[in-house]
Amino acid sequence: MDLLTQPTLPKPGLLKPGQLKPGLAPDVFPPLAEGIEPAVPVPGYPNTWTHTPAQPLLRRPATRTEVAGPLDLWRKLPCDESNLAMPAPGRVAQGQLMHMSGRILDEDGRPVRGAVVELWQANAAGRYFHPIDQRAAPLDPNFVGNGRVRTDEEGRYAFFTIKPGAYPVPVKDTWWRPPHVHFSILGPSSLSRLVTQMYFPGDPMNEWDRILHSIHDPAARARLIARQTHPAEVGDGWLAFTHDIVLRGRHATPEA
Amino acid sequence: MPDSLTAPLPPSSQHTIGPFFPRTFFSAGDNDLTRLSATAAPSQRGETILLHGRVTREGGEPCVNSILEAWQADAGGHFRHPADPDHALADPDFLGWGRAWTDEDGWYSFRTLLPGGYADPAGPRAPHINLAVMGAGLMRRAQTVLFFPAFAPANAADPVMTLVPPGRRAHLLALEEAEKVEGLRRFRFDIRLRGTPEEETPFFDD
Ligand SMILES: [Fe+2]
Repeated sequence: MDLLTQPTLPKPGLLKPGQLKPGLAPDVFPPLAEGIEPAVPVPGYPNTWTHTPAQPLLRRPATRTEVAGPLDLWRKLPCDESNLAMPAPGRVAQGQLMHMSGRILDEDGRPVRGAVVELWQANAAGRYFHPIDQRAAPLDPNFVGNGRVRTDEEGRYAFFTIKPGAYPVPVKDTWWRPPHVHFSILGPSSLSRLVTQMYFPGDPMNEWDRILHSIHDPAARARLIARQTHPAEVGDGWLAFTHDIVLRGRHATPEA
Repeated sequence: MPDSLTAPLPPSSQHTIGPFFPRTFFSAGDNDLTRLSATAAPSQRGETILLHGRVTREGGEPCVNSILEAWQADAGGHFRHPADPDHALADPDFLGWGRAWTDEDGWYSFRTLLPGGYADPAGPRAPHINLAVMGAGLMRRAQTVLFFPAFAPANAADPVMTLVPPGRRAHLLALEEAEKVEGLRRFRFDIRLRGTPEEETPFFDD
């Protein structure tokens, strides 16, 4: 296979701007089970001690303003950046080329169409293209490491990128973040907004990562780990991983 | 029907947005809720207002590089969304969503329309703006709601405002500034992420 043949990347969703579909929006938000949301503060991560609200969160009713959300955000946020590994013809990022794809689903397992999916990550040396990241690891002139797409009618997203490197957290009692990819998803409801991270299967650093382990439920942690597609199915061009993400929200079902 | 066929999928866990949310994800006009896109004309239905404030953490130190997202109804209290039974009445030119990023002193700003209130089965909602704060150290987003002092009777009846202990409700009121800016009323709304019960902004669960 030609290394520089671009793999399958998503086509934009079919929703017309401003189109409202009754099935598009979840309308029930059951309370989350214990252990799914991160426990704070995180030991050894001082920022969590100074930024996290100390007072208990107030549980509010879900009225229109909480259940609704912007449906046509792709007009505001351009969703055309899916190829992070090849910024221009003939320029290829360093590292393991990786095809990253999956579906955005709601709690009923239905595809979330037209969701905006933002992805950002470190380069192969574990450094971000960001002014705040001043670590002495090399930048890659061919890798910025962020992209944004919109899910299609089946809720699918895909990016072509490289596998990120690990990096140390600059705190007193340092630890290394395992390779991970950051996701920000803007779904059909302000309550279904999700910012999360995705990890790679089989990395020993996953077990030592304080951020991943702020999630106490082992099954919830396991759901943040991607699956690798067997290389025989992918060919010799790149690695492939799949990862489905479930946003909050169910559809009301008629009483039986 | 057995549970396995009806049980919902558990939602994916939140994680911190971290310190490296790309600056290239921001473009001019992202903090302007009045227009659908950078090139679209702004909505003219209602009063355009400016909103700004500071995000601080424990000790009143500024939160640099925090990301804020705003979401609200249009001037008539409607949403262009199927969850609103009256969505056909919604303003077609109003997005109602914006994203901003705090500077080195913790300041953010938005341009929007003064929102309308609406009737809801949970109770009459006063005009309000939903704000979510994300940043390094915040393991999940912090969600709060901004109200306007001019609507005191509506605020007192709002089913979300009334969840807040009376002594903390003033933290949810945006203050109108004495001077107009560009001929527009400007409101100030500061967010204190962590502090004493007297200092901290009330935040809401998902
Ligand atoms: Fe990271």
